[in-house]
Amino acid sequence: MWTFENLAAGTVYLGLAMYAVFGGADFGGGIWTGLASGPRAREQRDKLFHAIGPVWETNHVWLIFVVVTLFTTFPKGFAALFTALPVPLVIALIGINFRGAAFAFRHFGRQTGGHVPFMAGTFAVASILTPLALGMAVTATATGKIIFVKGWVQTGPWFWIGPFTLVGGVVGMAICAYLAPIYMTVRTEGELQNDFRRHGLYAGLALGILTTLEIPIAMVDAPLFADRLLALRGAVLVVLAVSSGITAMVLLWRCHFLWAQIAAATTVALTIAGFAAAMYPDLLVGQLSLAAAAAPPATLRSFFSVLVIGITILIPSLLFLYWTFRGEPNPELPQLWRNGEDHE
Amino acid sequence: MDNILSARTLMGFSLCFHIIYATIGIGLPLMLMVAEGLSLRTGDELFHQLARRWMRPAGVLFAIGAVSGTVLSFELGLLWPRFMAFSGPLIGLPFSMEGFAFFTEAIFLALYIYGEQRLSRRMLFYCTIALTLSSAASAAFVISANAWMNTPTGFRLVNNALVDVRPFQALSNPSWAHEAVHGTLAAYVATGFAMAGVYAFALLRGSNSDYNKRALTLALAIASVSLPLMLVTGDWAAMTVAAQQKPKLAAMEAHFVTASGAPLIIGGWPDPASGKVLYGIKIPKLLSILAHRNPDAIVEGLDAFPPGTTPDPRLVHPFFDLMVGSTFIMLAPAAWFWWLRWRRRDVPLDTWLLCALLLASPFGMIALESGWLVTEFGRQPWIIRDLMRVSEGVTLQTGIGLILITFVVIYLLLTAGLLKLLLRPSTPADRTETTQGDRYVDL
Repeated sequence: MWTFENLAAGTVYLGLAMYAVFGGADFGGGIWTGLASGPRAREQRDKLFHAIGPVWETNHVWLIFVVVTLFTTFPKGFAALFTALPVPLVIALIGINFRGAAFAFRHFGRQTGGHVPFMAGTFAVASILTPLALGMAVTATATGKIIFVKGWVQTGPWFWIGPFTLVGGVVGMAICAYLAPIYMTVRTEGELQNDFRRHGLYAGLALGILTTLEIPIAMVDAPLFADRLLALRGAVLVVLAVSSGITAMVLLWRCHFLWAQIAAATTVALTIAGFAAAMYPDLLVGQLSLAAAAAPPATLRSFFSVLVIGITILIPSLLFLYWTFRGEPNPELPQLWRNGEDHE
Repeated sequence: MDNILSARTLMGFSLCFHIIYATIGIGLPLMLMVAEGLSLRTGDELFHQLARRWMRPAGVLFAIGAVSGTVLSFELGLLWPRFMAFSGPLIGLPFSMEGFAFFTEAIFLALYIYGEQRLSRRMLFYCTIALTLSSAASAAFVISANAWMNTPTGFRLVNNALVDVRPFQALSNPSWAHEAVHGTLAAYVATGFAMAGVYAFALLRGSNSDYNKRALTLALAIASVSLPLMLVTGDWAAMTVAAQQKPKLAAMEAHFVTASGAPLIIGGWPDPASGKVLYGIKIPKLLSILAHRNPDAIVEGLDAFPPGTTPDPRLVHPFFDLMVGSTFIMLAPAAWFWWLRWRRRDVPLDTWLLCALLLASPFGMIALESGWLVTEFGRQPWIIRDLMRVSEGVTLQTGIGLILITFVVIYLLLTAGLLKLLLRPSTPADRTETTQGDRYVDL
């Protein structure tokens, strides 16, 4: 059980969960920027932008962490994944590029979501595209359709489009759309807080329906994955995720926002843990086991020594970051920018 | 275009783009640290204001660097899966370390940029120290992966499979030290000169503020300290390459025929068909001296290696000369500036000097990009020297040309968008729009 390759796989999924819980919320912010409506639409957009501003780059690094961990610890799996799934991965990259650009360009000031519909539109579209494509790519690994011939992947360019992966992509989007408004409830007050609470409840409902729907679809479209999901280990995590999700909804309904935020993040992490449990012991279901995809033990050992050192530097730094920017996102920017002052 | 050419073009294109942002991401933190440090030490607010003004471009450039870095990490798998499947167990380690360093960098940048009202001045300075250290570390680690491709170590091959893998030995491969030091210093030079150019331009336009003078001096100071070190570390790099990667050295110097007392050829166009360099300037025996510290030493030419295993000198020699030449193009106006600065005890504002500095300002970046091209073209046809050819590392997936076109369009769109925003004049209407009541809506 506690072999190096299992620990490495755990690290990959942990990175993925961190990306979903932190980076996902940023994409969710983009989705709700596009869906902002009602009399306070503009305020909603501004709040979302300001909350994401200081942290999106740090949150984005979790994706790089996942990719790097994957090619260090499962080089064969990494090669197979990227050979099999160029289309969704390129789409995700396009989304990442434009999302980053939309934010970067806003640094130049003079723009707001309301004033520059193009920028806000780019941001929203990119925020929908990336989780959709990544969700499809991740769930494609569970379908058992990535086939090896003589040690190399042989699949058509469109095998990754199917009922299971399509719902998987929408689940990816729903996770993002679910987290962002719930996180925003702790950072807003009054009417605006209520707007975000309502958005969170809708998205929570959508996420619940979608993940439930995914199980019967998996039985048809990804049978081995479904079997493992409904076996003991998977089922326990499914039950935990469902109860955590219901708890989050109740807490949100009753306006216990801080606890709702924690429960929502836990729900997402448990959903991904459930996915990981149903993948076990494979990296690509039915085709490539973790053991076969793993790097030599010496690499895994040195990776974990680096991981331990890295984490001892990272965790205090991250805590310091989130602690410094806790609470309501007041205008954080320095005086200089706020006055709209021009620079050379 | 065939798959290999498409893949190489796309990778080269992405790296060329990323290198600019990554370089500034390494250089600017040092500037921030020095400025904040001086401000704390002297109590002079101007230094602090200087640093705060660099922050906005820093935020944008870092963001683009993070995104273009993500593109690269994906491209490793999309374009070179066979290379990655083989070398991932070895070069994955420096990439993991780089990941942590970059993570730390992103965190402290966010703290520095957005934390002005929540952190003390001293804490902001500490943030710039963490930023400088982590950015230099991330450069050193990512360069280690490139160095391994030049001098692969830390494993044994049995039936084309890796055995006896020693990742830390791969990390500290023989090319790492000189590449990492040379590359990181190059980032300081490139950033320093680029910024000196900006302020030289502002001074030329007549805004002789203390702010501009101080900024020009600081940027040039950092660049000028690093510049002579570039020559020293460059010499170290060349000597190491002469010992470890002989075909690369031969291509760099357009040295076709093995000879003792080899001359150094400056400029010219290498012609592989005739094995001669057209229009080059020859300095007798200098190559032997530079490569082996002996005027009569034998320097292997391209003819010493089997055909099909050596790089094309037409792609390597010109970029090598461009890199070395750029250093001297920067050295001259920098020396002139400090001479006048020392004589007059004030920042010299002579038009010709400022023009020269402005003209020299892009050459740090040009030198850095050229140096990267030298080491990459100089390794051809290998992706891992003497072990795996580029054609053996490329993906088997078809349609890479399509991905190439997609990314070229994206980069063009992004560049157009960036230029449009940078060049857009600031109108009074914009300013009123950016504040609403008591709160700003301007990021």
